[in-house]
Amino acid sequence: MNDIFYKLTVSHFLILAAVLFAIGTVGVLMRRNALIVMMSIELMMNAANLTILAFARYHGGTAGLEGHSLAFIVIAVAAAEAAVGLAIVVAVFRTRRHADIDRLNLLKN
Amino acid sequence: MTRFWMALALLLALAAPAFAQAQPPPVPSPSRVAPGGAAAARQRPAGRGGAPAEAAQGDARGGSDEKDAGGAKAADEAAPKGFSNSRMAALFFWVFAGLTIAGALFVITRRNLIAAVMGMVATFFALAGLYAMLYAHFLAAIQVLVYAGAIMVLFVFVVMILNRPEDEPWALQGLLGKGLAGVAILYLLVRLSGVLWAIKDQPHAEMAGPSPPPVAVVVKGGAAEHPGKAPPREDAFGSTRAVGKVLFNQYLFPFEAVSLVLLVAVVGGIAVARPHRDEDHEKKIVVVS
Repeated sequence: MNDIFYKLTVSHFLILAAVLFAIGTVGVLMRRNALIVMMSIELMMNAANLTILAFARYHGGTAGLEGHSLAFIVIAVAAAEAAVGLAIVVAVFRTRRHADIDRLNLLKN
Repeated sequence: MTRFWMALALLLALAAPAFAQAQPPPVPSPSRVAPGGAAAARQRPAGRGGAPAEAAQGDARGGSDEKDAGGAKAADEAAPKGFSNSRMAALFFWVFAGLTIAGALFVITRRNLIAAVMGMVATFFALAGLYAMLYAHFLAAIQVLVYAGAIMVLFVFVVMILNRPEDEPWALQGLLGKGLAGVAILYLLVRLSGVLWAIKDQPHAEMAGPSPPPVAVVVKGGAAEHPGKAPPREDAFGSTRAVGKVLFNQYLFPFEAVSLVLLVAVVGGIAVARPHRDEDHEKKIVVVS
């Protein structure tokens, strides 16, 4: 029983990443503020990165370093996504004076 | 009250590496050159400080093959399960995991946007600690720099732009806030002066050799404290050189493509967020809300 607490395995990191991803998903689905939604998306990306790095450590060697490269690229793409998404949020807020995604239904039917 | 807990969590996340390094190893002298030392180093309590030493150990055991990820393979041999088995590492895993989950829950439950952003920062710092535990030191640094540094600043700026006057200003007021700030600054200064104090002068002859020593700055207690005895190999798993070799050899095209993505993101962000004046467009877009 104590082994669960004292012996770290790859499962620890994977389960943590899954929980983090679930929290991010709940944030995307439940919250209405666009900024919180974007932050939840960042959480999900970090969960994916944690999974990648856990598997990279698990396999080790050159495959692991390829995983590190992939995580690096994910971080860069997340930065780009944050920049564009926040620009969109700012633009939406300028025109409509709110950032409530439930009220952004201009394209609805 | 929530502010207090958040400040505590942040402080813990920031101070955890210091505690991890402050732990004295039970093995009196983890001999870095002896090939038999790998087994001893495996039992060293490894928080964030112990992991690189372990990697370097496995490296020393693996001999000196000059392949790209030879060090990484050797490190993998040294720790076949891939994860440190010491209790200290487990403790730090649980601390970082708790911080991560708590910060994430903070993000999706707070009404105050600044509070959410601060929970996010705690999450990112804790994730950087977890990356370091996974031997991804380069990515841990990148995580702190890019996420906690750049993206969070972006979020904070947007929150400041969007928010109406905040109902709850973030700064701690009065004597408590000033005391906390003073303690934090004092801690920063002590750590900084400790690092500066520990830097030794290195003769230039050592740098001019055919294979220069990988680190020019020698920090007391760091991995490169004894450069004469065992120059630390830089090809350890997850180090900047190892990741860079893979990134610039096999993944050069994705790397350059990412630079293009960033360029497009910059241009797109400016184009989208730029205030549109009326003379730019003949007819103004009427938004029905």
